[in-house]
Amino acid sequence: MKLAVSILVSVILAATFCFVIWVVATHEYRWAAIAPYRWNLLSGWWVTLQISAASLVGSVAVGVLLTAGQLSGHAIPSFLCRVFVEVIRGTPLLTQILIGYYLIANSIGWDSRFGVGLVILSCFSGAYLSEIFRGGVESIPKSQWLSALAIGFTGAQTYRYVVIPQAIRRVLPASAGQFANLIKDSSLLFVISMHEFTMQAREANSNTYATFEAYLPLVLGYFLLTFPISLLSRHLENRFRYEH
Amino acid sequence: MSIEISGLTKYYGATRAVDGISLTLSDEVQVLVLIGPSGGGKSTLLRLLGGLEIPTAGSITMNGTALPDTEEGLREFRRRNGFLFQSFNLFPHLSALENIVLPLVKVHEWSRNKAIERAGEVVARFGMADHVKKMPAELSGGQQQRIALARAMAHGPDLLLLDEPTSALDPEMKAEVLDIVAELCEAGQRIILSTHEMGFARGCADEVIFLGNGQLVESGRGAALFDSPQTELVRTFLGRVMKW
Repeated sequence: MKLAVSILVSVILAATFCFVIWVVATHEYRWAAIAPYRWNLLSGWWVTLQISAASLVGSVAVGVLLTAGQLSGHAIPSFLCRVFVEVIRGTPLLTQILIGYYLIANSIGWDSRFGVGLVILSCFSGAYLSEIFRGGVESIPKSQWLSALAIGFTGAQTYRYVVIPQAIRRVLPASAGQFANLIKDSSLLFVISMHEFTMQAREANSNTYATFEAYLPLVLGYFLLTFPISLLSRHLENRFRYEH
Repeated sequence: MSIEISGLTKYYGATRAVDGISLTLSDEVQVLVLIGPSGGGKSTLLRLLGGLEIPTAGSITMNGTALPDTEEGLREFRRRNGFLFQSFNLFPHLSALENIVLPLVKVHEWSRNKAIERAGEVVARFGMADHVKKMPAELSGGQQQRIALARAMAHGPDLLLLDEPTSALDPEMKAEVLDIVAELCEAGQRIILSTHEMGFARGCADEVIFLGNGQLVESGRGAALFDSPQTELVRTFLGRVMKW
């Protein structure tokens, strides 16, 4: 039964995969039309790589701060962090970018698209990460906290030596997924005219009407960014594995 | 150890886990055993005595000093004692050796070399020298409990508090752990222990107290409580647990 199911699933997946490849590969492309835009696409990819890498670091920082705030045990920071997370998660990123750049950054005279994009993406992704981190911390059994208390650890030592090392492994897979989302979400920065990867494809398309030729490079380009994160996450999961 | 408990009370919401216990123990009592039905208040009393919980009302005085009521004071108090839990509560991400060494280094501020040397002595005494490199998940329940006991003992605690240390173990493993506890009793270690092992309690205890419904039902010197119980509740309980 188990074997039958796995054979069936494999066949369906393989057939679907082959069909998609065949359809995509047999389409007649006009690569020549898009060729003049190749350097634009490459520079867009480079911008996406930079903004994603910076926001990845930023979002971890924001996520840790929000988690710390929510778990602080103090009512006011906990409430404020909660509100921040709910508002950010409950509203469209597109709107956040528009308000963040044209209203907020503009009102304080800040005109760096990269800088504003970095802050907004970090806040957006950080809000999601903080929920993943909080879930990880709260999944550590009460008995571990009690044991740390009995040993005489301070609160900070309990996090440093007992809770965080165990929570890291639990939050890795979900965090890697969030990082992949972050990279793809950076394409919305086109609304503040950041010439990132998707924006370049969009421009190439509107100038040439070679839609597939303009957008297909995105498949490879984004995969090249997200796949290493997936690999790194698996590697780290194994490194932090403690049950045998 | 001389212990004076007066009007000790602990509520969890509406539940009275410990309900107005008063008790005076003289300095000759080296081993105090708590017995009684599950849910009777043994664990809560033990946690109050170990400074892991703050009483709702009442006070505890040990060897002439009242238990501190600030978090810092309680932490100092916990550091001087050792606490062992029913479910071992080893840190699963650390090897058996690291479970013992980490508190010595981080809480008691020993040098790492001194801590490793000391851990080696304790595990050898508890028959666990061959298993120190293993992770907790690779050890049997009895072995985990012996490592947990080594962790609680390594810094030379003033007082050792054991919360049903053998309740989660099968008979053979129970014996492994009880042998060690008996040896510690004989070596003069001051111990407060809650247990369902009546034979063991009778053999080791200087003083036995019976708790039911959060109250002190009866107390007695050594085997006296077992030989001539004064209350119907204790008679019925002992009749039942000794039957098989």
